[in-house]
Amino acid sequence: MKVLITVLVAALLVARIAFYVVRRRRRAERKAAAAEPPAPAVRTPGRPHPQLRRIEHALGDVGLVAGREIRERVRGRIFRVGTIIMLVGVGAAVVIPTIHSGSGPTPQRVGVVGGLSSDGRQVVAASAKANDDKVTLVNESSTSQAKADLRAGRVDAVIVDSDEILLDQPINASTSPADSGLVNQVAQYLGVLRAYRVAGLTASQVERINKYQPVAVSSLVSGSKGTNLSKGTSVIGMVLLFFMLTQYCTWILIGVMQEKSSRVVEVLLAVVRPIQLLGGKVLGIGAVALGQAALIVGFALAVGAAVGSDLLHGAAPLALLSELLWLVLGYGFYCWVYAAAGSTAERQDQVQTLALPLSLPILFGYIYSISVVSSGTANAFFKVLAFLPPTAPFCMSALVGLGQVTWWQFVLSALISVCATAGMALFAARIYRRAVLRTGSRVRLRELLRPTGSS
Amino acid sequence: MGGLLQLEGLRRSYGPVVALDDLSFDVLSGQVVGFLGPNGAGKTTTMRAIFGLTDLDAGRVIWNGGPVGQAERRRFGYMPEERGLYPGMLVGEQVEYLGRLHGLSATAAADAAAVWMERLEIAERRDAKVEQLSHGNQQRVQLAAALVHEPELLVLDEPLSGLDPTGIEAISRVFVDRARAGCCVLISSHQLDLVEELCDRVTIIDHGRLVVSGTVDELASSGPRRLEVRIEGERSADWTRGVPGVTVSEVASGAARLVLDESADSDAVLRAAMAAGRVTEFSFGRRRLSEVFRESLR
Repeated sequence: MKVLITVLVAALLVARIAFYVVRRRRRAERKAAAAEPPAPAVRTPGRPHPQLRRIEHALGDVGLVAGREIRERVRGRIFRVGTIIMLVGVGAAVVIPTIHSGSGPTPQRVGVVGGLSSDGRQVVAASAKANDDKVTLVNESSTSQAKADLRAGRVDAVIVDSDEILLDQPINASTSPADSGLVNQVAQYLGVLRAYRVAGLTASQVERINKYQPVAVSSLVSGSKGTNLSKGTSVIGMVLLFFMLTQYCTWILIGVMQEKSSRVVEVLLAVVRPIQLLGGKVLGIGAVALGQAALIVGFALAVGAAVGSDLLHGAAPLALLSELLWLVLGYGFYCWVYAAAGSTAERQDQVQTLALPLSLPILFGYIYSISVVSSGTANAFFKVLAFLPPTAPFCMSALVGLGQVTWWQFVLSALISVCATAGMALFAARIYRRAVLRTGSRVRLRELLRPTGSS
Repeated sequence: MGGLLQLEGLRRSYGPVVALDDLSFDVLSGQVVGFLGPNGAGKTTTMRAIFGLTDLDAGRVIWNGGPVGQAERRRFGYMPEERGLYPGMLVGEQVEYLGRLHGLSATAAADAAAVWMERLEIAERRDAKVEQLSHGNQQRVQLAAALVHEPELLVLDEPLSGLDPTGIEAISRVFVDRARAGCCVLISSHQLDLVEELCDRVTIIDHGRLVVSGTVDELASSGPRRLEVRIEGERSADWTRGVPGVTVSEVASGAARLVLDESADSDAVLRAAMAAGRVTEFSFGRRRLSEVFRESLR
């Protein structure tokens, strides 16, 4: 699992680096284009997609702004390359484990000298099942014949008189054809059968012992119901959630800053209201985010189903869908924060100064959730964080992955997040309206919160 | 088309700085109105107030007798001083997009964008990004974006700055045509000679207050008489010293431009000029807009 997460994180880092490289190159190109280039055209723009036209029409000005955002973002090379890299990373995370386990049971030929009791045969069958082996028993006429077959590779191991197991190579040798797990388990159980015989147990006593039930195991602190597989999927989803949340919120931050620095916002606000402009931007980038996330989750589920991945069994799809929902809710909450912050800046360095403190709650929620999912136990503090909108996207997703949350807790946390988002949207719209038309040095929050007319 | 923009008692302060101080004036349809004033006079704040981009402490912006809301602003066109276009967006799409925000249908916006880009001679750049255009062409794109929806009121903050003579001529023609088509056109500029040539009416403000307003003809023919005198070999106007009722307006290209008050005698001026050298030009003229501007702000 660690390998998979490493692969995914590496893929996302590559996407991020590619993003910065392209952005740098574009900036350099922009500088170089101080004089008008002779090339008349970049490319021929396609007509907007009919469905996009319908959305634009249905939502009025907000739809028009959102439509432009969607067109410009989806058309960008950064988005396309980033999506492909993420699809490749997720595909690799789903497929790679199945390559190892997907070749089916390992065939093992086990020679038998001196016969094997029915209990002994059951022991071999149970061990084979536990180790994902397909065992074929081969009767050997003598020990010397068995040794000859071992050396020739006709058998992988030999059980001699239910009392000894012979191998050609040492059990831990990498060149040994025998499955060490199978050999150890069979040796263990045959030893138990021998102990029964030595103790002089009757057949009914042996049968009673064999029908044993393990005693219940409980802990003082309630433990995880989540399987390792759903935990793994949860972690992968959380990594994606973190990258996508920071990515899209940064788009909002930079987008608002660029509209301010290019002064186009003055032309736009001369005809649309600030809340319409901001709403359209948030909606457009949000639609792109949801589309990209849905594509990745859908792709992961489809690939997982096609290759029979264990990563998508049990509670894993639920964990992924929960993370998709929390991507929407988390984006909904944070996008307003980032938009308000973006409206106070008009230079790239100002944006970088703003981005760091804004990303701290996201980073905290992400790292804390990953550690909790890995340990398998959530404490009370973590459960409280799952109800606070800034950390809920990660903490609630982690609780779903661990199976430590009830449906009503999930719904309550989502409702709190929606209400906080509404409040944040109103606050952000106020900040945005006051800050976005003010140029010069970065606008301080204190100045923006003063009553109208005093500045 | 046709309309009347009225600004009534506009007041706006930024802390101790008074940007607009009870400013009132009208912009009539069918006229190109020059909006003049020194830097910091409040021109940009006034223009922003028309579009609701600045909160007014007092006063009203009235369009055709009613308050200005979002529906009215859709029929206005605006070109801010610092321009405003998406640098990475394609020219054609940008003009269409702004047309649609002003209420045009997709088809109408595309058609209108094509017409205006053709008219402003940027049609061949429609598929280029704005950031790849020269300053002059970006200016034309900005103007196309302000005109694409055939606005009833056109407000342009320094639309001619940074343009070459060809660009100035082409764009000026568009302003005059729009005004003749019944549009209200309000232009701010520091290029006073151009404004004099282009505008029917001029409004001058200073410190947020109205200083003077009237047609270019009214302002040019008002005030004391002007006399332009050129004397061979004379580069100064020192010879006017001692001539009663005469002040020097400017000395440019070897000619002295004089302001004669009611007590001044033009014969006395001519005699003083002849005493200073051979007089090659001696003519009465109207007030130039630059003189109106300077004298209004004294």
